[in-house]
Amino acid sequence: MNGNVFAMTGVAMAAMMITGCATAPTVREVALDRAPITSKLEPQDVRRTVEKMAESLLSAPGVREAVGGTRPVLDVEPLKNRTTQHVDMVSVTDSLRMQLLRSGMFRFVDKATSGTDIEFMDAQANLGLTDQKKAIRPGQQSAAQMYLTGALSEIKNQAGRTVDQYYKFSMTLKDLRTGELVWADEQEIRKESVKPRMGF
Amino acid sequence: MKKRNRMLWTAALAVGLTGLVGCVETAGTVVTTDHQTGSTLVLEDSTRLKGQVQVQKVNYDEVNGLKRVHITLASTRHRRLRLHYRISWFDANGMEIDPDTKTYRTLILEGRDSVTVTGVANSAAGVTSKLRVRDLEAAD
Repeated sequence: MNGNVFAMTGVAMAAMMITGCATAPTVREVALDRAPITSKLEPQDVRRTVEKMAESLLSAPGVREAVGGTRPVLDVEPLKNRTTQHVDMVSVTDSLRMQLLRSGMFRFVDKATSGTDIEFMDAQANLGLTDQKKAIRPGQQSAAQMYLTGALSEIKNQAGRTVDQYYKFSMTLKDLRTGELVWADEQEIRKESVKPRMGF
Repeated sequence: MKKRNRMLWTAALAVGLTGLVGCVETAGTVVTTDHQTGSTLVLEDSTRLKGQVQVQKVNYDEVNGLKRVHITLASTRHRRLRLHYRISWFDANGMEIDPDTKTYRTLILEGRDSVTVTGVANSAAGVTSKLRVRDLEAAD
């Protein structure tokens, strides 16, 4: 009789341990370059792409020719997202601009914040708070000599339980004056995921 | 008594195996190259990786005023290897330059094949490169 009670208690305790009583998820910090968990585009893919593109651009002979001894003014256009996924392309271009800026090879302007520049200049000129001798007036900003642009595209194939996903980042650097493409490169990423035989 | 001992041994073995399976070695091979003196130091911290990959050749040059390193890795195995590598850069004072921007990249090495990986310093201040190779399993 006692044995049965002990056995039942043991089974109940084991069941509780297996199912788990805790409702809070386990959270921990992981390395930025973690192993892939899906076949979708993941942060580590974007990081690798930005690093590869920055290295390629900084070491390209064509860029050296175009740059010469000067530090040309560059603008970075957000990449076009031609995939079915939502990817923050502005964040990708921000990361690339940051890496290029740190190299010291280029100077940058940012067309995306021009509206804010006008607001500031307008406020300095019209609100009466700023010393007018020190106020920044429009018409003095540097002009972009080159701009960086690009796109992200994907090809997705599914065969049975296997999903094959291919991504391609392509980027170009264009000289605004001559219209020539100074640099272009691609980064390809291919991922495969296999669904389990059982489960939902 | 004999049966009980056998059960105890089996349980101990199971616990031991579980412990072993849970351990992933994150140590790897490190190749440090000083671009000023030309000296290269290879440290093989993982015996497992040491038996799979060998550092064959290290070359370095300069492009657009930035240091560049080329390291040839060769597989000693007949099967495909999946590895991770990262090339980081240090200035003349030994300080790492932008450590967060240098990422681990995937390297798929075919059996008995060799591949050259290249890294470019992201700043003209970078004078020492460090390649770190690790097993793909070491990634979280």
